[in-house]
Amino acid sequence: MTTQYSILFKQEHAHDDAIWTAAWGRSERDGLETIVTGSLDDMVKVWKWSDEKLELQWTLEGHQLGVVSVDVSPNGAIAASSSLDAHIRLWDLESGKQIKSMDAGPVDAWTVAFSPDSKYIATGSHLGKVNIFGVESGKKEYSLDTRGKFILSIAYSPDGKYLASGAIDGIINIFDIATGKLLHTLEGHAMPIRSLTFSPDSQLLVTASDDGYIKIYDVQHANLAGTLSGHASWVLNVAFSPDNTHFVSSSSDKSVKVWDASSRACVNTFFDHQDQVWSVKYNSKGSKIVSVGDDRAIHIYDCPQ
Amino acid sequence: MHTYRFQWAMKIHPLRANRCFISECIHITLGMASFGWKRKVGERVSKAAVQQFEASAEKPGEEGVDKEFEVDWLHAIKRRREVLLEDCAAKSKRLKEEGAVLAQEGRHWEAIKRWDEAIQLTPDNPLLYEMKSQVLTILQEVFPAVQAAETAVKLRPLWWEGWQTLGRAQLSLGEVDLAVRSFQVAVHLWPSERHLWSEDLAWARKLQRQRRAALDQSRQEEEAQREVTNAPELQQDYDFESDEVVAACAAIAERQKRFEELKRKAVIVDTEGHAREVPLEEGSGIASSSSQDHLVKARGP
Repeated sequence: MTTQYSILFKQEHAHDDAIWTAAWGRSERDGLETIVTGSLDDMVKVWKWSDEKLELQWTLEGHQLGVVSVDVSPNGAIAASSSLDAHIRLWDLESGKQIKSMDAGPVDAWTVAFSPDSKYIATGSHLGKVNIFGVESGKKEYSLDTRGKFILSIAYSPDGKYLASGAIDGIINIFDIATGKLLHTLEGHAMPIRSLTFSPDSQLLVTASDDGYIKIYDVQHANLAGTLSGHASWVLNVAFSPDNTHFVSSSSDKSVKVWDASSRACVNTFFDHQDQVWSVKYNSKGSKIVSVGDDRAIHIYDCPQ
Repeated sequence: MHTYRFQWAMKIHPLRANRCFISECIHITLGMASFGWKRKVGERVSKAAVQQFEASAEKPGEEGVDKEFEVDWLHAIKRRREVLLEDCAAKSKRLKEEGAVLAQEGRHWEAIKRWDEAIQLTPDNPLLYEMKSQVLTILQEVFPAVQAAETAVKLRPLWWEGWQTLGRAQLSLGEVDLAVRSFQVAVHLWPSERHLWSEDLAWARKLQRQRRAALDQSRQEEEAQREVTNAPELQQDYDFESDEVVAACAAIAERQKRFEELKRKAVIVDTEGHAREVPLEEGSGIASSSSQDHLVKARGP
C-alpha cells in the first residue's frame, strides 16, 4: 500500500515505433493481469504484469498501417484490436492465437470497445455510425446512427445501459442500448473528442478533447457537471478508476494527470514521458495506472489506496 | 553625470550607426536581442543625454530634469523592444504572403527567397517551412524539401498537414516506407480527411507494393543470370561427337532465354494492388506518374 503517487516501472523501447494505444485486463479465471499495447509498427503486444514488472507474452502480427485501438474483454479472455486498414482482430490472450479478423470496410474502424458482457465490440465509423460486431459471430450485428461526423471515441457504460460516442467535430452522442435510441446529443467541445469514459457507477461521463479541456457530464440529465483545465495541449485519453473516486488523463503535453472526481482538482501530474502520451488506463483494482506514448515506452504508476 | 556621458560616448560608434533595420531583427531572432536593440536605443538616447548634459552644465540649477529623462529611457527601451518584435512578425507575415502569391504564379525560386527571409525573422513558424517544402518538392529539390518539412513537423508535431507535406517530399525522394509512415501519422491525427486516405496513403502503399514486387523480380533476374554464367552443363567434360553437347547447348540457350525474358518484363501494380508482370515495350519504362497536384497550399496566419 502506497500513500503517494509514484512511477513504479518503465519499459523503454516496448515497440519499434510510437505506441498509440493500451488496455489493462484481468483474467476472471486465474486473476492474472495483462497489458495489451498497439503501435504504429503494426504490432499488438501482450504483456504479463506480475511481481511489479512487465514480461512480454505475445507479439501478435497481422495488422497493417498501425494499430489505433486495443481493448481487453471484461472477462479478461479476449483482446480486440483495430488498425488504420480498418481490420478488427480478436485474439485469444491465453494462447496468443488470432480468433477472428473482421474487415469493417474502408475507414470504418477506429476505437474498439467491448460491451460489459464481453459479447459485443463497438467501433465508430467515418459516416457517424457506431457499428456493433458480435464476438462469437465475427459479423456486424447492428449499428447506431449519430447522423454526425467521424467517430473517434466510443465507451460502454459499465451497467450496460448506455453507449457514448465522441466525434471529430466535438459532438457527443449517448444511446440507450436496449432501445437503440439516441438519448442525448451534447455539444460539449468545438474540437475532436479523442476519448471518453463512464464512471464505474455509470452516472458520469468524462470527455477529453483537442481543446485541452476535460468535461464531466451527468449522464441521466445530460448536464455539464464540470470543465477541467490543466493540460497545455490536446487531451488524448481519459480513464476512470474502478473505485469511482479518481480519473486519469493523458495529453500531447507529455503529461499524465490524476484528478479527484468529487473535488475536480488535479491531485497528481506525472511528467515522465518524453513525447505525447496517447493512452492511459487503470488496472482492475485501481491501484496502478499504465501509460504509453510516442516515446515507445510503457510506464506503470503506483496509486495511493 | 560624468559616468553616464562616458558610457554613452562609448556607444556612439560610426559603424553602428549604419546598421539597418533587418540586421537588428536578426539580432533579436538569434537571441541577441537585448544587445542589438539596446545599443541602437543607446545611440539615440545618448545624443539626448549629451545634449541634456551640456544643457544642464550650462544651467546647473535644473537637476530634477535628469531624473525624468532616466525614467523615460527605460520606457523607451521597453517600447522599442515590443515594436521591434511586432515588426519582425508583421514583416515575416508580409514576406510569407508575398511568397505565396509568387508560388501561385509559378515563380517558385522567388517564393523560396521570400520565405527564407521570413524564416530569418521568425524561425519558429512551422508554416514557412511547410510551404517551402511544398515548393521545393515541385522544383524537385527533394532533399531540402524533406529537411524543410521535417523542421515543420518538429515545430508542430500535431499538425497533420505538416506530416502530409513531409510524406509527399519523402515520396519524391524515393523514401516510400518513410512516406507511408508520415501519412499514417497524418491520418492518425486527422482521420476524417478523405484525401489522406484515398490519395496520399493509397498511392504511397501502391508504390510500396510496386517496389517490393520489383525487388522480388530483380532477385529472380540475378538468380537466372547466375545460372547462365555458372551453368552446370559447362562444368563437365563432353565428348564433342555425342549428342550430349547438343543437349547441353540447348539447356544453356534455354536459361539464357529465361533471363532475357525476365529482363524484358516490368512489374506493374494494378489498382487493387496485385502485382503482375507485363512485357516491357521499347522506350516506355515503368510509368513514373506522380499524383501530386502542383498547387501550393498557402497556410493560414
